[in-house]
This record gives sequence, structure tokens and C-alpha cells, in this order.
Amino acid sequence: MSRPLAQLLASAAFVLAAAWLAHRQRLGLSRSLLTAALRAAVQLALVGALIALVFRVPGLAVAFVAVMVATASLTAGSRMRALPGSRRIAIAAIALPALSAVGVLLLVGAFAATPRATIPTAGILIGGAMLATTLTGRRLVEDLGAGADEIEARLSLGDRARDALVPLTRRAIAGAMVPLVDQTRSAGLVTLPGTFVGLVLGGASPETAARVQLTVLLTLLLVQLLSALLTAELVTRAATLPGERVAVPGATG
Amino acid sequence: MSARLADRIDGLAVAGLAVGHGGRAVLRDVAFAARKGSVTALVGPSGAGKSTLLRCLNRLLLPLAGDVLLDGVDTAGLEPCELRRRVGLVGQTPVMLPGSVRENLAYALEPATADERRLTHALRAAGLAPAFLDRTAGALSGGERARVALARALTRAPELLLLDEPTAALDADAARHVGATLTGLARDGLGVVVATHDLGFAADVADQVVALRDGTAVVGTPAELLATAPHEATEPAS
Ligand SMILES: Nc1ncnc2c1ncn2[C@@H]1O[C@H](COP(=O)(O)OP(=O)(O)OP(=O)(O)O)[C@@H](O)[C@H]1O
Ligand SMILES: [Mg+2]
Repeated sequence: MSRPLAQLLASAAFVLAAAWLAHRQRLGLSRSLLTAALRAAVQLALVGALIALVFRVPGLAVAFVAVMVATASLTAGSRMRALPGSRRIAIAAIALPALSAVGVLLLVGAFAATPRATIPTAGILIGGAMLATTLTGRRLVEDLGAGADEIEARLSLGDRARDALVPLTRRAIAGAMVPLVDQTRSAGLVTLPGTFVGLVLGGASPETAARVQLTVLLTLLLVQLLSALLTAELVTRAATLPGERVAVPGATG
Repeated sequence: MSARLADRIDGLAVAGLAVGHGGRAVLRDVAFAARKGSVTALVGPSGAGKSTLLRCLNRLLLPLAGDVLLDGVDTAGLEPCELRRRVGLVGQTPVMLPGSVRENLAYALEPATADERRLTHALRAAGLAPAFLDRTAGALSGGERARVALARALTRAPELLLLDEPTAALDADAARHVGATLTGLARDGLGVVVATHDLGFAADVADQVVALRDGTAVVGTPAELLATAPHEATEPAS
């Protein structure tokens, strides 16, 4: 049996087994398991075909990265919809740090300036920036609503609007960084991260895979911190009103 | 009241004020003066707009129409942080900031002005012993929080003090103590505006009553308030 055929058959058998098991246990899950599997198959096949095309026509790589940024911004923006200009906040907080980091990595020669190297790297950094933006933005929107009394108390004690928001933004940024710091700390111990696995399966030496993985993880630390900081800054600007006032998202006041 | 009269008032003067949220007015044509050295009680049923009106007096919220003057100067032209230091506000839910009571009282004060004497003085005025300074603010009871919030406003040495339901979390004895504190502070020259559901408390402490009803304000004396009290809705604190 050829390898591609074996991969297809094995994964189809596994997902059918999962669906059968879920059905037997009456978990009400089997249908969503199957549709999720089908979606993944279609999406990955399309992306595979698309990336194959991009590898042949390097000019398309720019468009591909732009689509990644747009999708990530739409997703992150929808998580803080309660704020005015949420989509613009998300685009800036994702694109600036992620694309600058890609630029620096290419400039110093850490990666070859080919679509094959650039697209996955940009994808990981954009994805990480999206995560940091979403976590920071969602937390800030929640806390602006729940913490309205605290903000008014600080304003009434003579704080400027920007200063009254500082405790909220600090908490949101720190909270957003927790998953990434944990992931970095446990890299290689609890799980083998995706880049490492991919490179090894693709035939790279474990040393190369480890080095590339480390580069990605450490770059992510800065990219995500910058995304979280940018989100906090832009949300602060959107939430402060003239006259040292703070707009509470969702309220009509 | 006419603008010329308002010009001469030592304290807060409100004229033609409309307040509300999202452009929808809750109160219209509100006019009254809260002089330094006197206590003004703001009464009215739940949802009448007491908190909304207080927020407009220190510009946490902008009025939809009309003016608020402080010592004859339009508050719209004052620097907002400066205005809020001169006109303190103790909100309806007493918020404890992280840290000790001491850190709460000294919050956003210049270290030079946050000396021990000033803090204990404010604490005593609010009815708490100096030993409270080193308690964790977050671990206090509701009534203690209300008094720390009052003390925290007093450390700023405001010229006027706005209080939103300061007795809601207090028993009768503690409420009487706060009432005595407010009248004492007024005697020393502070202007006090206190929003309350409690008509008895209002009658005890106030020199003047501003009753919010039918979307506007009616100004009178405590005696007049008690005379019309049966018509007044006095729902429990929400
Ligand atoms: N942020 C807001 N957005 C929209 N409407 C609001 C907002 N805050 C208050 N309101 C409405 O404005 C009206 C007046 O509210 P306000 O809080 O001033 O009443 P109150 O007299 O203080 O009541 P209570 O005695 O219950 O504290 C109410 O109908 C309330 O629902
Ligand atoms: Mg209220």
C-alpha cells in the first residue's frame, strides 16, 4: 500500500471509530465529529493546493499573507465588537508586530526569503499575534463593563482617564501572556511543538528542527507582548472620552 | 434660577440642567444651589436619576443641556481632574482599591499631603478607629467599606462632597453617625450633597431638599418634604 493511501485510510478509520464510539455512548457528538473531520479535510486540501500554487508563483505569497492577516483581524476584532473601531484595532495590533518580526527574520537571514520558508513563519507569528490580541481585547472589554464602578471611583479621586485604566490594561496584558509563557516553558517536555514535528516529519535533522522551533518560540514572545501592548493602548484610546471620562462598552451613557 | 444669581453662589449652582444617558433625558430643567456650609439632600424613588445627576456634578457624565457652576465658574471650563478634587464623589457602590485602607486613603495623593495625621483625621471623621489604617481594604464589611470610601474622599480636602446613598449599607446607629459627620463637616464649611432613599435621614441632616419627581427637581425645606412624604415612593435600596 502506498503511503498517501495508508494515511487516508488510517485517519478515516480512526475518525469513524471515534464517531461510532460517541454514538454508542450516546454523547450526541458523532455528527459534529464527522462534520468537523470533513471540514478539516476540505480546508486542508484547499490550503495545500493553494500553497502549492503560491510556491510556484512567488508573487502570490504577499496576497496569501495579506489574507492571513485579514482573517486573523476579523476573528480578533469580533471578540471585542463592543468597542468602536475594534477591527482597526485588531489589524494594527496583529499586523504591525507579526509582519515586522517576519521582516527582521528575513533581513538577518534567519529564514530564506522564499514562500516555502516565509509563509509558515508568517502564519505562526500572525496566529500568535491574533491569540494575544484576542485575549487582551476580550479581557479588557469584560473588565471595562464589570469594572465601571472601580473606574468611576478612580476618576472621582482625581485620576486621569488613562491612569484609571492602567490597572485593567496591566491585568489584561499579563493574563494574555500566560498561555505563551507556559507553552515556551514546557516546549519539548510536555508536547513537541508543531514546527518541530513538521520539520522532523519533513526530513530535517532534529538539531535543525529544534533550532528553528526555538527561533519561532522566542520571536513569538516579543510579537505577542507587542500585540498585547498595542491592543491595550488602542483600546485605552477608544475607551477614553474628552474631559477625562471613560466610555463603558455596551452602555449608552 | 437666573444666571446672574447663580454667578454669586459660593458652591455648586445648577441651572436649566438636563441629564440622561445616550441622549435620552432622565431629568430636565433642574435648578438648585448647593452652598458650601450646607447639606442638600437629593431624594427620589429608585431610577429617578439621583446617581445620574450626581455624576453630572463632577462631570463623570456630561449634562445634555444647562450649566453647573462652581463658585460662579462654569465647570465645563475647569480642568476635569481639578474639578473632581474640589468636588468629591462617593459612589453608590463603595469600591475598595487593592491594598490596605491606608493605601486607599492615600490613593492619587501627593506623598507630602498623605501624612498620618490627615489620614487618621479623615478616618475618624468617617467613624472608623485609626487601627483600620493597616487593615486590608478588600476584607472589610459593607458598612466599613462605605466609611472608608467616605474617608478616602475626605483626605482630598474637597470643597464640596457628593454622596450617593452613603447609609445604604449601614444600620441605624451607623447611619446616625454618618449623618452627624455630614452636618459637622458642613458646619466646618464643606458643601454636602447627599442622594438618599431615606426620607427620615434626609429630614435629619438636610438644610435643603431637592426632590426628583416627574423628570424634574422640586426644591424645598425638609419640613415641606415630610409634609408631602406620603406621595413620595420610598422603595428599598436597590
Ligand atoms: N449607563 C446607563 N445607560 C443607560 N441608562 C442608564 C445608565 N445608568 C442609569 N440609567 C438609567 O437612568 C435612569 C436613572 O438612573 P439612576 O441610576 O440615576 O437612578 P437613581 O435615582 O440613582 O436610582 P437608585 O435609587 O436605584 O440608585 C434609570 O432609568 C436607569 O435605568
Ligand atoms: Mg443611584
